[in-house]
Amino acid sequence: MLTDVLHNIYSRLLYIENEPMLFSSGTFWALFLVFLPVYSLLKRRMWQMVLFVTAFSFYFYYKSSGMFVFLLFATSVLDWSLSRLMMKTPYIRLRKIYVGISLTASLGILAYFKYANFFLWNISALVQGNFQPLDLILPVGISFYTFQSVSYIIDVYKKRVAPTRTWIEYAFFLSFFPALVAGPIVRADYFLPQIRENRHATTSEVYLGLWLIILGVLKKAVIADYIAQYNDLIFQSPTGYSGFETLMGIIGYTMQIYCDFSGYSDMAIGIAMIMGFRLAQNFNFPYKAGNLTDFWRRWHISLSSWLRDYIYIPLGGNRKGTRRTYINNFATMLIGGLWHGAAWKFVFWGGMHGLGLAVHKASKPYLGRWSDNPVCRAFFWLVTMSFVALLWVFFRADSWGDSWLVVSNVFNDFSLSYFPAFASARMLWLVLMGVIIVAHAMPDGFWDKAGQWFVSSPWWVKLLIFVITVQLVLELRGEDVAPFIYFQF
Amino acid sequence: MKRNYLGLWSLLAVAFVFFTVLSSFDSIEVAGHSFKSSGIHSAIFAPRDSGEDTLHVSSGLDEECSLPLERPSIPAEVDTAAQTILFIGDSMLEGLSKRLAAYCEANGHKLYTVIWYSSTSERWGKSDRLRDYIRRIKPTFVFVCLGANELFVSRIEEKRSQYVANIISDIGNIPYVWIGPPNWKPDTGINRLVASKAAEGCFFLSDGMSFDRKKDGAHPTSASAALWMDSVVRWMPLHAAHPIRLSVPAVQSGSATRVFVHQPDEK
Repeated sequence: MLTDVLHNIYSRLLYIENEPMLFSSGTFWALFLVFLPVYSLLKRRMWQMVLFVTAFSFYFYYKSSGMFVFLLFATSVLDWSLSRLMMKTPYIRLRKIYVGISLTASLGILAYFKYANFFLWNISALVQGNFQPLDLILPVGISFYTFQSVSYIIDVYKKRVAPTRTWIEYAFFLSFFPALVAGPIVRADYFLPQIRENRHATTSEVYLGLWLIILGVLKKAVIADYIAQYNDLIFQSPTGYSGFETLMGIIGYTMQIYCDFSGYSDMAIGIAMIMGFRLAQNFNFPYKAGNLTDFWRRWHISLSSWLRDYIYIPLGGNRKGTRRTYINNFATMLIGGLWHGAAWKFVFWGGMHGLGLAVHKASKPYLGRWSDNPVCRAFFWLVTMSFVALLWVFFRADSWGDSWLVVSNVFNDFSLSYFPAFASARMLWLVLMGVIIVAHAMPDGFWDKAGQWFVSSPWWVKLLIFVITVQLVLELRGEDVAPFIYFQF
Repeated sequence: MKRNYLGLWSLLAVAFVFFTVLSSFDSIEVAGHSFKSSGIHSAIFAPRDSGEDTLHVSSGLDEECSLPLERPSIPAEVDTAAQTILFIGDSMLEGLSKRLAAYCEANGHKLYTVIWYSSTSERWGKSDRLRDYIRRIKPTFVFVCLGANELFVSRIEEKRSQYVANIISDIGNIPYVWIGPPNWKPDTGINRLVASKAAEGCFFLSDGMSFDRKKDGAHPTSASAALWMDSVVRWMPLHAAHPIRLSVPAVQSGSATRVFVHQPDEK
């Protein structure tokens, strides 16, 4: 019996291929129960705390991505060594060489694992070759930690950030497990001072962290995973459904990707908050945006600001004239699209957003005069959301052909007469969609107040809410446990 | 431990123990609703997989089989007529049905797929759903894939025997093949139960086959599910009671004539 238990626990602790550690999994819950008391005891002793959390983070990455943990380790050693060399040398040219080596290594690794097959496939298509894809496995979260590594090294080069004195501090920053595999992308200037500050989380912050985790779990494991079951059917068989059902699938995916990704971000921010660390907000009710520029200020904020600071501004930003501003914007969004995946559909998705941003910028002087009119505001919102939802089709569908089939199906076979049958067959799907749409539309400040209420509620109420949340996850989860959509990026 | 963490830790620990204890029961029903288990208890306390416990049976082409699977001594003649096929089951159909749809398109059959997520033999056996679909679609052949959600039910013969029999009775005289679940761990007897209830040449044992699994560790990947369906198709001419024409299609996957989907909570 005891050996069986030990064996079962041991086998759960090992890396399992295609089974990354999810914050909403039982394994993480059990590990966090062990992590928390040790962390609490070491919190006052900064170096021991840093060592412990870094070791846990590397283990977390091993559990999610196996032996690629050594890649993360190597990246951290190389970046840190080069940042120290950069700080010590007075020669500009040497500093440039060091930053070049670091960027080549980080981006080269990312390019190899993520884009090699895409690149070779395109070359092969051009020369009409017989392409066989390389057997490459994408390390989980590589796009996220590579962007952190790049921002750190550039900030050190530009002297915006002092390099960490020790490797362990840098490793702590790069591998910090709440944000390691799917963001938010943590910036060195924001995060590094927090390590030395070593601030204790107050009881309120601890429970606010738990509240964010509960919200994240509800968004991801209850709503996103449940509504995904229907959305997936639409995208898998675009011609098998009526236009009305297809439109519901598109709206469903629009909410699914938001719940999936922002749910993960909420959990990551919540866990960090429990540990006394602050991660910047990653989503700010993006579907409330009245225009595309506003949407990108609210959606995946850590990526948008990264792209702005490390691509758009270095390209010249808006300092080189109107035409160049549009080109810079477009180029930045193309890169942002490609960051999401090695496929032309992501490039198209990014490019169309870039085009949309340019159109919005160009029309701003004309639209501005109507921005106070509520009817116009509602119209602008509708246009923005339709554009965003339409582009999610291209983001989600397996191929160009499927994307067009999905879109054309909405226009060719649309009839509201399907609604009663749809409502009776998919009542829970509609209810959950209604819940998330209403929750998203609540006035600013509502969720802050709800968080404060949770923090001040009695312990048993918190326990009850937590238990109900877990049971809801169990009741509504599909047979196919869906990983976080953004894990693949 | 610091006081500010003590409250949170005790909350997480109490909830963990609560769900562990709860999952040690087979099923908990309140007002007719059966609560789903977290599976924590079996994840921690389940006996270790041992070679002796595993049902060493493969897809049933030539290997030895320890289950009571009677096979026709003389292969039945292949029915070459165009069929109306009804394929019912749980989420495993997502992978299987795409490949079967390709076979159907290539062989002139119509395929109607009914996916009832998280369903079990109990849910199908208790409801009129299968009878309704048979009445509406009038299939000439039925495929069933059920059992994945009841691999670990204890005393399964006692609990599910009637429901498996109900499903087979609902199918009636229509030729059928019940595709067994793709075990990722040894089951507690669902394969044995279905094999014992199904008619000769109507049960395809999937246990023992190797699958590439999705991230949940249970569902075969699309490619693996396609190979699974290929195995069923290859098995049929030699071993099925009523083989139908299923020549290998030129394309990898196809679309069913109609897909019906039922959510886990639907009655």
